[in-house]
Amino acid sequence: MKQKLNISNYIVLLAATAFFVFPLIAAFEFSLRSNQGKSHDWSNYQWILHEPGFRTNLGVSMRLALLTAVAVLVLMVPTIVYLHLGGARWKRLVEFVCLVPLVVPVISFALGVGTAFPTFLQSTVYELSFLYVIISLPYTYRALDVGLSSIPLLTLVEASRASGATMRQTLVFVVIPTIRSAVNGAVFLAVALSLGEFTLAVLLHWDTFPTWIANVSQGHILNAIALSVLSLVGAWVVVMIFALAPKSLRSSKSQEATS
Amino acid sequence: MTTENRVSVQLKGLRKVYGDAVALADFSLDIAPGELVALLGPSGCGKTTALRILAGLDTDHQGQIIVNGKDIASVPANKRNMGMVFQAYSLFPTMTVLENVAYGLRVRKVDKEKRNKKAQELLDLVGLGEMGSRLGHQLSGGQQQRVALARALAIQPNVLLLDEPLSALDAQVRTQLRDEIKRIQIEVGTTTLFVTHDQEEAMAIADRVGVMRHGVLEQCAPPQEVYLNPANVKVAKFVGAMNLMPAQIISSDSLKIYGQSVALRGSSATSSKDPLALVRPEQLSLTMATSQGPASATVFNLTFLGPLTRISVRMNADARTLFVSMPSAAALEFVAGSLVDVQIHATSVLLDS
Repeated sequence: MKQKLNISNYIVLLAATAFFVFPLIAAFEFSLRSNQGKSHDWSNYQWILHEPGFRTNLGVSMRLALLTAVAVLVLMVPTIVYLHLGGARWKRLVEFVCLVPLVVPVISFALGVGTAFPTFLQSTVYELSFLYVIISLPYTYRALDVGLSSIPLLTLVEASRASGATMRQTLVFVVIPTIRSAVNGAVFLAVALSLGEFTLAVLLHWDTFPTWIANVSQGHILNAIALSVLSLVGAWVVVMIFALAPKSLRSSKSQEATS
Repeated sequence: MTTENRVSVQLKGLRKVYGDAVALADFSLDIAPGELVALLGPSGCGKTTALRILAGLDTDHQGQIIVNGKDIASVPANKRNMGMVFQAYSLFPTMTVLENVAYGLRVRKVDKEKRNKKAQELLDLVGLGEMGSRLGHQLSGGQQQRVALARALAIQPNVLLLDEPLSALDAQVRTQLRDEIKRIQIEVGTTTLFVTHDQEEAMAIADRVGVMRHGVLEQCAPPQEVYLNPANVKVAKFVGAMNLMPAQIISSDSLKIYGQSVALRGSSATSSKDPLALVRPEQLSLTMATSQGPASATVFNLTFLGPLTRISVRMNADARTLFVSMPSAAALEFVAGSLVDVQIHATSVLLDS
C-alpha cells in the first residue's frame, strides 16, 4: 500500500536532499574553477588524468578492492551459510568476532601486522587486503546474514543436494544467485571500504589512491576537490551498476517468461 | 517413459534420537522395486525422519539403509541418486522452470542440449510443457510442485521421495495432483516413498500404507487391509473413524455388543472390566424401530457429506453416542428424533486396549 506524502514529509525530504546535494554542487563548482577563480573549465580534471600517480595508485587500490571483495565472499558466504544451516550454536560467537573490528582502533591492526603476518606478506601491498577484509567484517556479515535470513535456505540447499549437487555447486548455482542483492551489497561495502581506506595504508607506508589524494591535496587544492568529486561519481557508478544490473537481469528473464 | 533402474529398498533397525526424544525406534521397512509405499502418521511420529534418513539429509542415526543390496548409510546425499519433492515450495527462484528441471543434469555435467531435451520431456509429462521459460514465482502452488516432481524425476532417481508434497495445496488441486503423481509413478516405475499425514491421500495413492506412531511402524500393508484389518488398536483408531461400543466377552473368540454376537479378533484380548469394541461407522446400519430393544437408539443429528450421510445416534440403553455412515439416499428416511435399531455388520472386531 502506497502511503501518501504530506507537506511535512516533503519538507524533511527537501531539507535532507539539500543537505546532501548542496555540498556536492559547491564541490563540483569549486573543482571547475581555474585562473584563480576567474573562469570555469575542466583543467583540474584534465590535470588528474595526466598525472602519473593517478593511474598507478588507482590501479593499486582497484586490485586491493578486487582481492578484498573476493576474499570476503570466499570467507563469509560459506561461513554464514553454515551458521544458518547447522551451526546456529556458533552464530553468536561469529557475530561477536565480526563486530570486534568496530571497537578495535586501526592503529592496533597496523601494529598487529608486524607480529601476526608472515614476512612475505608484509613485503607486499596486498597485506592491506587482509586487513580490509577484517575491518569490513561488521558490514559484510550483516549484509549477508540478512540476505540469507530472507530465503528458505535449508529447503533450497536440501533440494540442490538431493538433485546431486555438491556443496560448492549448491553455493555457486543456487545460494549466491538467490541472495545476489545481499552479495552485491557485501561486495560493494568491501570495495568502497578498500577504495577509501587511508589510515592503515599510511601507517603501513603503502601508496594507495586515498594516500595519493591526500598528498595531492596538500599542494593542489582544486585538483584534490576535482579528485574527490571524481571518486564520488565513480562510487555512484559502481553503486548503480550493482543496484540496477540484477534488476535488469530479472526483468529481462521475467519478460522472456511472460512472452 | 520408464526407468530401467527399479530398485528395492530396505531400512533395517533405524534409530534416531533428538536429545531425549526418540524419533525412530528400531524402524524397519522393505520396499519392493517399483512399489509406492506411503508412510502415514500424525505429526512427530517419525515419518519424515525416516524419509530424510533414506535421502541422506539426516545422517546421525543407527541402522542400515540398503538400496539394491548395497548399504548406502555412509553415502552422502548428493551421491545417493534419489529424487525428492519437499513439502515447502523448493524451486530455485533465480532459475526458469526448464532450468530447475534440468538442474540435476547440469550438476552431473550433461551437455546443455541433452539436459534441456530431457527437462522438456519431463515438463510435458507433468503437463507443463509450455511453461519452461517461466520463473517459479509465476506458477501456482500446484504447478510448482509439478515442476519439483519433474526435477526429481529428471535425474532418473533410484528412489523417489515425496515429503508431504500436497499439504500446502488446496483440496481440489491436491486431489488432482495426487492422481497425477500416481499416474506418473506407474508410468516411470520408480520405487517411491511417500510421506503424509492425510489418510485419504495415503489410501488413494499407495500400494502399501505404513502406519507410524511414536517412531514405530505399527503396520505396513495394502490400504484395504490397513483399513479393514488393522493390526492393532492404535492403527484402528488412527485410520478412519471408529465407534467405541461396550462389549461383553462371551468366549475367547466372541463377544456381545448391545445384544448382538460378534467375532473377536484373535490378538485383541483385554484385561479391562468394561471392554470397548472398535466398530467403524460403515459397519453399522439403522432400521426404523417400533419398540425398545437392547440396540435401540434415537437419531439426533444428520450430517450430509455428499454421497454419504453421517448419522449421529444416542443409544437408549446407556446414552452413548455412535456414528453411522450410510449412502445419502438410504439416509433420507431418518430424521432427528427417529427411533431406530442399530445393527452391527462387522465380521470381527478389536477391543480397545
